[in-house]
Amino acid sequence: MASIPPARIARIVSTRCSIFETFYNPQSLRTGAKYLRARLRGPSMVKYYPQEINIAKAIRAYPELEMVNKAEVQRLQDVEDKKKRGKGAPKKAKDKADSRRATRKR
Amino acid sequence: MPNIRVLRDIKARNGVQTNELLRRAYLFVARNETLSPQVRHQAQLQLNTFGKYARPTTVKNRCAESGRGRGVMSEFALCRYQFRLKALNGDLPGVKKASW
Repeated sequence: MASIPPARIARIVSTRCSIFETFYNPQSLRTGAKYLRARLRGPSMVKYYPQEINIAKAIRAYPELEMVNKAEVQRLQDVEDKKKRGKGAPKKAKDKADSRRATRKR
Repeated sequence: MPNIRVLRDIKARNGVQTNELLRRAYLFVARNETLSPQVRHQAQLQLNTFGKYARPTTVKNRCAESGRGRGVMSEFALCRYQFRLKALNGDLPGVKKASW
């Protein structure tokens, strides 16, 4: 079998590339085409978690419907009850001495 | 209400979507060996300026119910325990307990 000279093979390959409209890349350089070819993954990524309705926002958007956020009402009620029992959040420190007293170890 | 890890993951997902096109363009330039090294280096520097919430590898499929990061079935977006609870409750159409 007679061997084909490499120059001729190269010409055949370049001709084939021009016919089938592919990129002639004899040195097999990386062209980065895969980053353009790949599908965009963002749209499906965003859809992973089911959409949740922001209740507070909905109430603010439609004040005429007079809806009530039960969880928020309950939370405020709990805070009030705790305050009555003396278990509320401590007062904000007014100066450095106050803040030192608050962080002091007992 | 989703926990902080889920909220962070949602943030990452939104970041990936908004920055994806630009990042792809820079990736194409930076990984393209037919371009000059200076141009490729500049593109790589630009890629480094994106925050961590622009990278798709930051995104992790977490449980939509409990926020758990391990043992999550991506098809249902649920961890194994929440999956069991919902399946037994009949909330997942087509899923039923095997018995033979």
